[in-house]
Amino acid sequence: MIELLRVPSLLTVQDSGRKGYRKLGVPVSGYMDDYSARIANYLVGNPCDAPLLEFLLMGPTIKFNASAVFAVAGDVDVKLNGAPVDPWTSYWAKRGDVLEVGVLKSGLYGYIAFAGGIKCEKLLGSCSTYARANLGRPLSEGDKLTLGYAILTGKEGCRLPEELRPDYSAEEITVGVVLGPDLDHFTEEGVRMFLSEAYTITPESDRMGYRLDGRTIEHSEKGAGIVTGPLVPGTVQVPPNGKPIVMMRDAQTTGGYARIGVVSNAYLHRLAQLRPSFKVRFREMSVEDARNELFKKEKTLEAIRLFLEGRLRAYRIKAGEKSLIALAGKV
Amino acid sequence: MNFKPLGDSGLLISFGEVIDEETNDRVHALAGAIEKAGFEWLVEVVPSYSSLAVIYDAKLIDFEGVKQAIERIEFSAERFEGRLVEIPVLYGGEHGPDLEFVAEYNGLTPEEVIEIHSRPIYRVYFLGFLPGFAYLGGMDERIATPRLEKPRLKVPAGSVGIAGEQTGIYPIESPGGWRLIGRTPLRLFNPSRKPPTLLRPGDRVKFVPIDEEEFKELYKAEWGHEND
Repeated sequence: MIELLRVPSLLTVQDSGRKGYRKLGVPVSGYMDDYSARIANYLVGNPCDAPLLEFLLMGPTIKFNASAVFAVAGDVDVKLNGAPVDPWTSYWAKRGDVLEVGVLKSGLYGYIAFAGGIKCEKLLGSCSTYARANLGRPLSEGDKLTLGYAILTGKEGCRLPEELRPDYSAEEITVGVVLGPDLDHFTEEGVRMFLSEAYTITPESDRMGYRLDGRTIEHSEKGAGIVTGPLVPGTVQVPPNGKPIVMMRDAQTTGGYARIGVVSNAYLHRLAQLRPSFKVRFREMSVEDARNELFKKEKTLEAIRLFLEGRLRAYRIKAGEKSLIALAGKV
Repeated sequence: MNFKPLGDSGLLISFGEVIDEETNDRVHALAGAIEKAGFEWLVEVVPSYSSLAVIYDAKLIDFEGVKQAIERIEFSAERFEGRLVEIPVLYGGEHGPDLEFVAEYNGLTPEEVIEIHSRPIYRVYFLGFLPGFAYLGGMDERIATPRLEKPRLKVPAGSVGIAGEQTGIYPIESPGGWRLIGRTPLRLFNPSRKPPTLLRPGDRVKFVPIDEEEFKELYKAEWGHEND
């Protein structure tokens, strides 16, 4: 069991999300950054969708009431009993140990995974927190969480090489987007604007959606309203004011604003980590290209999993100033 | 049928931009047929008024593959009729703070508003927006009223509201800009129930006016505690 001594920000339990209930109006939810979250789980030997902790900007302080293997994913200072330890690395904590997770130096969401996962009641097939509908609730100080049964199988000392850690420091990124389905609700100039301008993440952004600011996107004579239709996370809606909103993991299941495009799932975790005041550009992609990007992301995550399991080796390659890493072969 | 990508893992099928029962029948008939076909790549189907999204596992199939599989599905758009669900509503008072306004705006008495609102049998076109929120069709336009200028920060679960020519019930507590005319003691979304929502697409809804005492009794039975 672990106890939360300090909870400075939004701290929730998340897994890969809720499937099969969207037709009843229940959002998908799940981890905002599936890339970091999955690696956190791999570091402690869990399957990718084991429930873990997601924190916003600042991590919690946790006391272990039993020994457990843990790993923190994020660009953040971590201390175990006051002594610095590395993020992206699995450690064994003993009964009575205290884990302190600091403030993210880059990115917005960090993850703490425990071997065996967090034991929690599955509601509608998932442990993901969607507090608005009482599907879980944000955690607070004093809360105690039970860990899963695989505690003894988790191994410490798994470390993700620095070259393989995601870099969320850029203040401007470009994400791939599949245009449509409501392109006829925009003028050609409006679509051109969407694909050429940089849009700023505003502070009115949360797990439900990221509101963007920038040059106004012009609607056609059909206007901003559509007959209410389905949405998926990544959908970019443009309300009458012409400022786009990207729907995120807690997105409502249907909406009534014209959908100019959908950010590909290969990029959604990257967008999720973009801080308010940072900028995003949208690059048009075909469905086929978006799918290929998705395969690439899956392939990378799979290689990382095999490497952490000791089934692939890492080769360091010097490319000028930069050090790269390639995962290959069998040990 | 018109097929469009909804990102890299979704396909949108549209029957046109209309709100009518015949089109919505086809949406639900096709949604049901897709679910029954047992495709291993199918994640879920999300129906709405005149379109539906098919969410698929892009690791197993591509857009063209999904499109072709759906084009081969045969389905007949029969009249899609679910159950008739009676929803008891305590109109006006603290639970319906905008009833007077809706009456005044439309040149009616509050009693007339209640009568007009509770007379029709509404159709549940689909659920969306919030867990268990039903998009209802069939409200009488004589009680249509614009949304609040400034949405309330907290609308209690069960509140029955009017927004333009729509009427609906807030399934869970949330912010909201609809004009509130009453409240049902029933729970529209309960994650520990199967299915978790009281209403399902295709159901017919009839609002039944009740008094304070009935409200209290039903509320306690439904929620397990008194309404505070």
